[in-house]
Amino acid sequence: MSDPTPRPTSPGPSVPRALRAALTEDWLATAVGLLLLAAVLTGVIPTGLVP
Amino acid sequence: MVATTPDVETAPPAERPARTWPWLVLGLFIVLLLGSAARWLEDVVPAAAKGTSLEKFAAAVEYPIYAIALGLIGNVIVYWAGLRERIADAVRTEFFIKTGLVLLGASINLNLIAKAAGPAILQALLLITSVFLIAWWLGGLLGLDEKLRALLSAAVSICGVSAAIAAAGAVRAKREQLAYAASLVIVFALPSIFLLPWLADLLGLSPAVAGAWIGGNIDTTAAVTAAGALAGEQTLQIATIVKATQNALIGVVAVALTAYFAFRVEKTEGAERPGLRQLWDRFPKFVLGFIAASAIGTWWVGTVSAAEAKSTIGVVNDLRTWFLILAFVSIGLQLRLGALREAGWRPVAVFGGAALANLAIGLGLAVLLFTGFTV
Repeated sequence: MSDPTPRPTSPGPSVPRALRAALTEDWLATAVGLLLLAAVLTGVIPTGLVP
Repeated sequence: MVATTPDVETAPPAERPARTWPWLVLGLFIVLLLGSAARWLEDVVPAAAKGTSLEKFAAAVEYPIYAIALGLIGNVIVYWAGLRERIADAVRTEFFIKTGLVLLGASINLNLIAKAAGPAILQALLLITSVFLIAWWLGGLLGLDEKLRALLSAAVSICGVSAAIAAAGAVRAKREQLAYAASLVIVFALPSIFLLPWLADLLGLSPAVAGAWIGGNIDTTAAVTAAGALAGEQTLQIATIVKATQNALIGVVAVALTAYFAFRVEKTEGAERPGLRQLWDRFPKFVLGFIAASAIGTWWVGTVSAAEAKSTIGVVNDLRTWFLILAFVSIGLQLRLGALREAGWRPVAVFGGAALANLAIGLGLAVLLFTGFTV
């Protein structure tokens, strides 16, 4: 059996960096989503503004 | 066509193009432009096809299809323009999809989440355990490297790229292995987006069973949302709840993998036992946002008049659609098949075999746990 471990050509981001980015994105997405929801409910983003 | 384009990332780090703020802004502009085009096509194509033989077909093609197709076309264009690596920081599939899912929470009644939580947790536990073990066994059978085996097993059994990232951190995988697993997830997820809603329709599954099957089966959360959106709003809601439940279990698998690799595979001297802190660190926080948005939305709908509630939640849904469109465009823009070409058939066979098992076991569990469930 030849070496079964793939040697892809694309190294991609480092694992710690990808892990940190994923954790930051989680909080950021939560904050942005809830802020947008609050903006709609309080009328900051009115009906008809979003295409 | 994307498959024939070599990866820009093959350049050694010193030659890799710099990613700076202007490129980030340009990248965001490209993602927004493609997203706007998808939204526009969704409106104009059915209107243009009205009265022609293509009327039914045009009406059936919805925004996820336009967005993914435009993303794939954009992928080829930015590659040939030499921009793909420079704008990579703007192509944030995970951020767009998670924000879209938090917004989706506002239109799902909290009671539905509570009602579906039981079967969703049971399905997730049974499905993740069985598919992980099947992928692990297949990986061992075909002689895969232990770390790649762990990455692929986590990716195919839990939630695709996010799980692969968590598993890669847990087992200290090489970055090439993470890039490879992420590419494999997207390559398998793309056909599933179209295949599963079609099969669910063919099998006559109810929206709840179809949603549970789609949510439990398709690996990456963005693709689950795309397939759910194609199948219908009720299917989307159940698929999202099931997928969010799987996402929440990433931490458990990451902690188990950390312990297994530290004490059994690498036998690290004096390795620390992973604890609750690590479990919390790996927990996907957007799930909390999704539940919070559902609680806020449920409270809002009960507080204002029906007409006002419909109008406000409608605006939230429009925003949600925009974020989902940006996520689907990003799926197309992110696809890189270069990594897969040199990997050989064994990892593909492991992933494919486990995905087939996932399909069958997932359907059985969805029918068993969600038949008779009403949305």
